[in-house]
Amino acid sequence: MTRLVEARGVSKSFGTTTAVDNVSFTIDAGRITGLIGPNGAGKTTLLKAMLGLTDCEGTLSVLGLDPFRQRKELMRNICFIADVAVLPRWIQVSQLLDFIESVHPQFSRPRAEELLAKTKIKASAKVRELSKGMVTQLHLSIIIAIDARLLVLDEPTIGLDIIFRKEFYSNLLNDYFDEQRTILVTTHQVEEIENLLTHVMFINDGRIVLDTSMEDLPSQFTELTTSGSRAEEARRLGPIHERDTFGKKVMIFEGVSRDTLREFGETHKPAIADLFVAKVKGAS
Amino acid sequence: MIQTQLTLLRRELWEHRSIFITPLVVGLVVALGALTGQVAVSAFDQAVDLAILGASNLGERERAVAITVLMIAVSTPFVIAMSILAVFYLLDALYAERKDRSILFWRSMPVTDAETVVSKLLTAILVIPLITFAAIVATSLVVLAVSGIWISMRGGDGGQLIWAAAPLFDNFLVSLIFVLALPLWLSPFAGWFLLVSAWTKRSPFLVGFLPLIVAPMIERILVGTSYLNELIFVRSGKVPLFSESGFDPSRYMFSDSDRPMIAEDAATSLLSYVDPVRFLSSPGLWLGLLVCALLTAAAIYIRRYRDDS
Repeated sequence: MTRLVEARGVSKSFGTTTAVDNVSFTIDAGRITGLIGPNGAGKTTLLKAMLGLTDCEGTLSVLGLDPFRQRKELMRNICFIADVAVLPRWIQVSQLLDFIESVHPQFSRPRAEELLAKTKIKASAKVRELSKGMVTQLHLSIIIAIDARLLVLDEPTIGLDIIFRKEFYSNLLNDYFDEQRTILVTTHQVEEIENLLTHVMFINDGRIVLDTSMEDLPSQFTELTTSGSRAEEARRLGPIHERDTFGKKVMIFEGVSRDTLREFGETHKPAIADLFVAKVKGAS
Repeated sequence: MIQTQLTLLRRELWEHRSIFITPLVVGLVVALGALTGQVAVSAFDQAVDLAILGASNLGERERAVAITVLMIAVSTPFVIAMSILAVFYLLDALYAERKDRSILFWRSMPVTDAETVVSKLLTAILVIPLITFAAIVATSLVVLAVSGIWISMRGGDGGQLIWAAAPLFDNFLVSLIFVLALPLWLSPFAGWFLLVSAWTKRSPFLVGFLPLIVAPMIERILVGTSYLNELIFVRSGKVPLFSESGFDPSRYMFSDSDRPMIAEDAATSLLSYVDPVRFLSSPGLWLGLLVCALLTAAAIYIRRYRDDS
């Protein structure tokens, strides 16, 4: 399996605040990794370091390159959508395609045009005349038409309505993703991408608090719904988080086998959002 | 490499339509001005007829000089507009992309920061001057054609008076040399405005001009010298393009009593006054280019290292 990203002891500080604190992780080809963290956790800083937009300490290698020093080479094989608003507002769609076609060796204009033909976006339209959702469609069509090995999405669907959000991810999966391609995505709407992910990373206060595959998740974490005296007993096993729902106790356990927990009540695979709350609250 | 640079230059023209619109507007104003001027003086029937008669009796040299003066008059507004346009362009070039955050998109393309910043400098010191030159040529031809037709309509020989006498090629060549040389001479300012554009968080215009005005004043008050004043204001007006003894507009055509006269020793075109050796061997030019290179490198550094998106 090809290793695309390798981070060892990566840190980044702004003055006295440490945005990313001694982080190590790897990302292999063919994964869809969700990077989940609260605001100000260091997500965006970490992504920027990986995209060569900011310098950092430690060793960081993306596609075998030093992102900050070899940004141009890196950008031939990496794509990113930072946020919906970054396409220049004055540009015409056809000019945008002209520009990318001539600077990007991996861009297939026919593919982009084919994808755009399925939308309402006209080649003569200016970006400023498009709705927010259409701008995202445009950006996504461009990115799908670039034969990149790694795609980085930082809150790609922020501010979009539900229809565009669903469409965005289904297009991404159908038109872009295959075994050769790798996606790293951050979002606040975890529920929407939960089923897409193959891997998940939690980041809090600049540190990685969880880094696991979705397959391994159920064997590591169990959610238990219980009540009354059984809850008391279960609590002795040391849940990492506990909450009340409709008079019942919902606990999340880490490293406790599901068979053991089944004696105390119903067990489930925890939702990413709940697990996230548990891990982040547990860490603080 | 060159392909990328050409694409980047094209991109600048897409974004900054004022690069075309400004010379076009100046050209229209100048051409209309020439036309209305001629219509206006037509009221003075006798005087105009006398003037045309007088012009017909001038020697070929004098007529050529007169047309050269006309062509200088046509070109001047373009050069002024070009300078203003270039300043506004440079102040906007690296500022607007940060303000609307499109810098994140541009930096997601496989293009280096150096390539991008250089394309913006080239737009200001090469592309804008070349477009200005094209506008000067087109407008001059229109003004001369209108004048020729007008003279013919009044019974003069427009063909002989205007076209036979006009040192067109020489004058256009001088225009081209001038619009290319001026930005090189003023290149430290181009570098400075580019740096301000890359650096400032707000009001690039103010940040760009205030130091240029305030710094010489501070030097004057605190140190009592005026080197900065000399560097910023006096040097700017002294492009060493024309031979030292040569071009002096006040001597070129001077007013004796109330009739304009053509100086005895005026050459028929400005070409003979252009002194490329003096220009290219001027230390001021090369020092200026060095300052421009350093300021541009600083702008590249800031675009690359600063992360304020």
